[in-house]
This record gives sequence, C-alpha cells and structure tokens, in this order.
Amino acid sequence: MTYNGGNATGFPSPATIYLEAVIDLAQILDLRRPSRYPVRVMGGSLPPRGIAERDILVVDSALERAHDRVCVVMAAGEVFLAVLRRSGAHWRLVRGSGEDLPLADDTEVWGVVTAIVRESI
Amino acid sequence: MFGLIDGNSFYCSCERAFDPKLRGVPLIVLSNNDGCAIARSREAKLAGVKMGDPWHLIKDKPGIKGVVDWRSSNYELYGDMSRRMYQVLEGGFPAVEPYSIDEMFLDMRGLNDLVGRSVAIRDEVRRVAKIPTCVGIGPTKTIAKLANGIAKDYHADTGVCDMSTPEQRAKLYRVTPLGEVWGMGGQSVKKLAKLGVETIADFVAMPAEEVRKNLTVTGMRTQAELQGRSCLQMAFAPPPKKMLAVTRNFGRTITDRVEMRQAVATYAETAGRRLRASGMVASAMQVFLMTNKFKPMWPQYNPQQTFAIEATADTMALIGAANRAMEHMWRDGFRYVKAGIILLDLHLPSAYPDSMFPTRDPKRSAVLMKMMDTLTDRHGRGAVRIASTAPEGGWSMRRQKLSPRYTTNADEMLEVRP
Repeated sequence: MTYNGGNATGFPSPATIYLEAVIDLAQILDLRRPSRYPVRVMGGSLPPRGIAERDILVVDSALERAHDRVCVVMAAGEVFLAVLRRSGAHWRLVRGSGEDLPLADDTEVWGVVTAIVRESI
Repeated sequence: MFGLIDGNSFYCSCERAFDPKLRGVPLIVLSNNDGCAIARSREAKLAGVKMGDPWHLIKDKPGIKGVVDWRSSNYELYGDMSRRMYQVLEGGFPAVEPYSIDEMFLDMRGLNDLVGRSVAIRDEVRRVAKIPTCVGIGPTKTIAKLANGIAKDYHADTGVCDMSTPEQRAKLYRVTPLGEVWGMGGQSVKKLAKLGVETIADFVAMPAEEVRKNLTVTGMRTQAELQGRSCLQMAFAPPPKKMLAVTRNFGRTITDRVEMRQAVATYAETAGRRLRASGMVASAMQVFLMTNKFKPMWPQYNPQQTFAIEATADTMALIGAANRAMEHMWRDGFRYVKAGIILLDLHLPSAYPDSMFPTRDPKRSAVLMKMMDTLTDRHGRGAVRIASTAPEGGWSMRRQKLSPRYTTNADEMLEVRP
C-alpha cells in the first residue's frame, strides 16, 4: 500500500498538500502522443550519435524527414537505424557501417529519433 | 455527413507495423489458445483461409502449409494501436466515435472536400499509427458503413468510397446485394428475396408500410437511413457483431477508488448479462477510464487496457478481470467522468476449442449464471449481485507465436540494430 497522506495517525498529515505525483518521464518525452514509439537499440551502437547498445530511443512517426536526422528504417524484412542524407531531390540512408543506400520505394522511414534514454550509465 | 474509417485486417496490420518480415506474406491471427483465424491479411484470404477456420484443421492443407504465417492474438498491442488511430483521427475531425477496436465514425458535418480530407487522414493514420485503412462517406451511418465496405472490396487503390450524393448511391444500390447492408441479417434477406427484393435499390423503393410488415420498425429505420435520412446520430448505432460495449458517463466525477470498483463491477455485470442473452462468450476485454476532456484545466488521464481472457460469459470472471485492469490503471488525484468495458471477439462457445484446462467448471458456471439471470428477470436488476470478485490468475493459454507487446511492455520494445 502506498502512503497517500491519509489520517493513519489519527489526523491528516500536514504534508498532504505537498504530495505531488512523481516526475513523469512519459510526459517529458511526450510518449502519449500517437506518433511516439519507444524502441530498444540491440546488436551494436552508433557512437558518433551518442547511441549505445540497450539505449531506448524515442521515435516519432509524424515528424517530417530532415537531413542528418537519425531514423528507424524498415526495408527488406529488417529494422535498422540510419542517418538521412539529402542530396538535391534525392534521399539517401547511411548506416553505422558506412553503407550508403538510396531511399527506395520499398523502404520505409518508420520514424525519426527524437530522444535517447539510458537507464544506467 | 458521416465517415466510417476502419483498419484493413486490423490485427494483421498491427503485427505488420512492427515486423517487416510479415509484410506481403499471407498472415492470419488466431483466437485465444491459438484456435481459429480471427483476422486475415488480403494474401491469406486469397490463399483460401476463411474467417473462423480452426488452424489445426487447415494448417497441413496444400496451399496453406508453409505459405500462410500466423500469430497468436496480442490484445495489448491491438488495444494500443487502436488508441493511436483514434488520437490521430481526433486531430482531424470535430468528433470521433469509436465503434469497435478497429472502426470509428467521423463526424463530418459542416466540412467540405470530404474525399480530400478522407484521403489525407487515411495517409496520416497510415504514417503515424501504421495502420492501412478504408473510409466510407455518407449522409447516414448506415450509408457510411456500406460505403466503407465497398471501399474495401472495390477501391483498394484509393481506399475511399463517397456515397454522399443521391446519384452516387443510385448507381451503387443497383449492383449491391442487400446482405451488405448493416443490420440486414440473413433471415431478413431471405424474406425479402421471396418478395423479389434483391438489391439495395429494390429495398429502398419498397413502400414503407410493406417494410414494416416484413421487417418491423428496425427495417424501416434501415430503409430511411439508406434513403439518406439520418436516424442514427453520433453515439447511437446498432452494436457491432463481434463486440459488446458497456460504457457510461457517470454524470458526475468519481475520485474514489472503491466507488470506481463498484462502477466497473456494475458494467461488467451488465455486459455479462447481455453476453449470455446472445448465447456467446468473449475472449478478450478492453477496460478504460476517462477524465473530462472538456475541462482542460483539470489534469487529464485516459488509460485503457486490452487483454485476452479465458473465453467466458461468467459475470464473476468478467468482474474479476475488469477490476484487476481498473486497479492497475487507477491513479489518485484525477476526476474521472467515464469508464467502460468492451468485450471483444465474441463467439459461440462451440466455435473455438475449449480451453485445455479451464479454471471454472463451465457447467456449474452456466447453472449459476442461469439462476442469476432468472432472478434478475423476475425481481429486477440488482436482485442478486456478486459480492466478491474472482481470484486472480490460475489461467494460462497457449500462445505459441505471440509477438512482443511492443508498445505496452518495457521489456518487449521493438529492437533496432544500428
């Protein structure tokens, strides 16, 4: 049972009015928006972008794609991170390995990374 | 004008949103205990899988074995994706009314360029909530629903069917069988066929008196709706076939957990009674709580939970499950104005294989429930009530190919590789 400032000692605690909810990371990261998806980085890292293995990335599916943003991509049955690069009218995807691929029709930019959460450092 | 938007093969689309390997392949989602097909992708329909097909009977057939992939039902995921779809729609229309987990009515009154708006919202739902949809537009809910069905069957490319003008309707009514109409059951269709009424155009042209004689007042209402006279306002509609909802505005605010328990228990009881009256059992449940969104200065909190339950029509089981979800979601400090229970995936008890190790004796449960319903009929509601709720746990079901609860469980998030 959680302490709710009730009158367990016979009278209400004078601290009751200061009982606020704990800080809500879901609110800070705006996770209740329909476009927000937390995802987990597995199987590697992306050091130039400060992304480590097991980090939680907050991905937004409503954001416009933009040059140099890290995004989550679905292509050829795979889910991976890539950096969006714009060259003129064309978009390219650069992976952590340096592999550079065109943004083909069957490639989905699933969402753009907006925040990194690391549970312990 | 009304719009009806619904997710294409909704459960399959939710699975595909997070797993690109499932895209483009025939995919079905099975009911609890991995029993029968309850959702089929377009490819799976083409492969010959029918709604309700028991997987163990079809899995070795040629054309299915090694071709059709399947998943166990993941209600936590489907409920959350439904929430996302609803929120996207709310951003685009003055009023949105969820009709089932994957269907929502849109209030389009006073808006222009309805087709353009529908195309735009459809793209947005696809992009943001990851769900492909179809939209039907019409001056009444019945027409919007019909248009939605036509969009799905014949306009897969644009995904929108507009039946807002009499000319558009006249053309489609001539070629559309009456059975496609919402609320038009097999019995009614047979009855009308004997009178030579086969298409919607035939039905709409019938004298109202004739309709009433054959199909009672409900039939007259359907006819009026098809003629473009709206009888079903927002918030009123015949219940969907595979779903049963009991939701209420409290008419005041509830801030006390015990009071909320009682409210939710009452809704579960009502849902159970209606479910038994229909002779069905439910295998999944959604519970939600709502604060007053018209009072933006009050803290807002609108949690919902969707989950599988052991197939049942037992009030005690329903109250137990509903209250567990309520307790889990409850947070002090909010003024709740509404709560509800939605029973999902209703089916006849005989339709799916029984749970291998049921936690309740189905015979004893049926006897008790029958007695409760008899007493309620005779002495009115509340004559007998369940005093305590069912104990937790004990029930486990087979879910051999359950996808992760990507969006509702921190240990099961979508994994991405750099």
